[in-house]
Amino acid sequence: MSAETETGTRAGRDRGLLGRVRASPFLSELLSNRLALVGLSIILVVVTVAVYARAFVDFETITRVQFGANPPRAAPGWMALFGTETQAAGLLHYPFGTDGQARDILPRVLYGAWYAMLYGTITVGISTVAGVGLGTLAAYYGDVTDNVVMRTMDVLLAFPSLLLALALVAIFPDDLGLWRAVAALTLVYTPRFARVIRGAALAVLEDEYVDATVALGARDPRVLVRHVLPNCLAPITVQSTLNFGLAIIDLAALSFLGFGAAAGTPSWGLMLSNGVERGLLTGEWWWSFFPGFFLAVTVLGFNLLGDGMRDALDPRMREAID
Amino acid sequence: MVSLRFVAKRLLLLVPVLFGVATLVFAILHLSPGNPARVIAGNRASEEFVRQIERELGLDDPIWVQYGRFLADAAQLEFGESYTIQRDTAVREILRNKLPVTLELAIYGQLIGILLGLPLGILSAIKQDTLTDHLTRVGALSGISVPIFWSGPLAILLFAQFLGWFPTSGRINSQAFSIEPITGVITLDTFVRGVEATLSNGFAVSDFAPFFSAVEHMVLPAATIGIYSMALISRMMRSSMLEVIRQDYIRTARAKGQGAKITLMKHGLRNALIPVVTVIGIQFGTLLGGAVLTETVFGIGGIGTLLVQAIEVGDYPVVQGTVLTFAFLFTLVNLGVDITYSYLDPRIQQ
Amino acid sequence: MSDPIASHATLADRLLVRARLVGGAALVGLLAGTLGVLALALLGSDARFASEQVFAVCALALGFGVLGWSGSVLAGRTVEGLQSSLDTNTEWTEADSRRAMARIGGFGAGGMAGTVVSTVLLG
Repeated sequence: MSAETETGTRAGRDRGLLGRVRASPFLSELLSNRLALVGLSIILVVVTVAVYARAFVDFETITRVQFGANPPRAAPGWMALFGTETQAAGLLHYPFGTDGQARDILPRVLYGAWYAMLYGTITVGISTVAGVGLGTLAAYYGDVTDNVVMRTMDVLLAFPSLLLALALVAIFPDDLGLWRAVAALTLVYTPRFARVIRGAALAVLEDEYVDATVALGARDPRVLVRHVLPNCLAPITVQSTLNFGLAIIDLAALSFLGFGAAAGTPSWGLMLSNGVERGLLTGEWWWSFFPGFFLAVTVLGFNLLGDGMRDALDPRMREAID
Repeated sequence: MVSLRFVAKRLLLLVPVLFGVATLVFAILHLSPGNPARVIAGNRASEEFVRQIERELGLDDPIWVQYGRFLADAAQLEFGESYTIQRDTAVREILRNKLPVTLELAIYGQLIGILLGLPLGILSAIKQDTLTDHLTRVGALSGISVPIFWSGPLAILLFAQFLGWFPTSGRINSQAFSIEPITGVITLDTFVRGVEATLSNGFAVSDFAPFFSAVEHMVLPAATIGIYSMALISRMMRSSMLEVIRQDYIRTARAKGQGAKITLMKHGLRNALIPVVTVIGIQFGTLLGGAVLTETVFGIGGIGTLLVQAIEVGDYPVVQGTVLTFAFLFTLVNLGVDITYSYLDPRIQQ
Repeated sequence: MSDPIASHATLADRLLVRARLVGGAALVGLLAGTLGVLALALLGSDARFASEQVFAVCALALGFGVLGWSGSVLAGRTVEGLQSSLDTNTEWTEADSRRAMARIGGFGAGGMAGTVVSTVLLG
């Protein structure tokens, strides 16, 4: 059994990257899933936008505040086509309109991509690392460690995630801004990772070759790092992808409720919140529409990819996720 | 089928669950920064005044005295009076007014979700890999990708502002009707009032005008939540149904000569429902949590919004009362799930 | 799977074993709570703040333990049933989990008591 595995991986290594992709049932299955590819493309576009905005959009301009003034809000220029607004400046003038501070919404929405990706990555990254650590430890040592870790995780999992996040947000001082939301959500997400990783790690540990390695005298950390973690990589990636979308929504939700980004920050959740609060009933729909649209499309991208990945997973691993 | 002992044991467990939650809330509030006395007194109040308020509220007692008092009060469902949100009003009173609002919204939303989600999921599974299946799956995925706080405003824009079919916010046309609350569930209250009026004066459509107004106001928020939970339920139903269809006994049953459809209904559905029930239970909890967002968007004041406000301003009694109420509801829903579960899968009960 | 304590022992025996389990953890908690308050006080925070923080942390443990314990009892059978029906036995048992949670809760309760004692002693 172990000899077979050995030759299998060596063959994969010899064939180079493309060969290895073909040799991996997970990747080839994933690449044949059209919806997953659509999701991947969306994510790539959002990442590009995020990096572009971070590099070229002037943060000062898009966060400018005019105290006392009540500047007129401009509708998107192209609305002139429908005869609802007459704009001399041309159809492409303010394609997303302007907000309550007469700021162009387009660059703000683009910059929002940076916030979503950055804080999403941090949230999911920390929870993944923490979850992987706790999950593998629980699976490997079993017994009391397993019970204490997993039951703690179960208690956290038992609460509705948004409510738990709200309760946790209260613990952190509010001058932390978005970091407060990140900290709370990290605590909310870690149990999900821990549970999945524990399941996956147990499945790997049940395999004979790990037993054999242990019997041969490999010490604890080496078995975990060499054998358990690499084999859990696929479920970890799937869970991270699926939770990335959720993290973006939840971060925005916390901002929407006033527990996230500080006033004026061009984050999608906050723009949406301001737009709904102040622009919706006065007919300035563009104020909330565009941030929300980008948010939804980004989340859809992660969900499409994550879903495709889950379908491509080994069924034994799939059970743990959902 | 479901023994009384099973239910009684679970109801009894509510006590430790609520005790645990109460202790947790107490601990978290005391670990979080901020002094509630300062909140009440306001930022400009003198140190002297803050001390006085601390004394009045018993915040200067040793922490274990406060803990004991909190537990004793909570056991009598007494959470004290609100510090700031509705000053000097009993938290119990506030909760009594707000809870039905949230429950009503969550229940209607969940009903829509279940009624649409189950059939869609089954359809998607039976017609696996056809166009119907693909459309349903992408639709469901989009459904969970769109946050409620975007789909809600969109629905308001389209159906309330542009088409003018439904009102934009609130629970009833409060200028035209004032309804004496009975249960606080407004669609029920207005209906009961309508029936009462009919019984005393004979039927008139105008008696039911408040009821229609309440229903009108409920449509958009309930549909917004409902579509979200429909997406989740249909996804779960589909994968669970596929799992069951693949299993051997369905094939065996079919080979014995029963019609394919009857087989599916008889063996498949019941087994496929087992995990879905759990998801619906968990989903209901999420819905109560998500109600915070819907309530904010549609201007409906329920306990979700209440909790957010209370956390924001540091109104401890309201936070404690609201969280305990959520925990109570959540446990009750789980009890319901458990009972349904053991009905569907008798092996669980030993 | 089955609780080794449950089957043959008399009620008194069972209670004794349980009391020993929780009591042991509580003793550890008592010590930890006392030392925690003393340590914080020595590090320079005032006694009131020290006892509040330590008490709250121990209450967190107690709340967690109790919630986890009841959660295990509530969901345990379902999870075990689900595992046996799915054939994915992970050696997770309700009894083990309950015991672990009882320890955490006992530790918390002991810590709370320890805080009270040490605060009163500190005067």
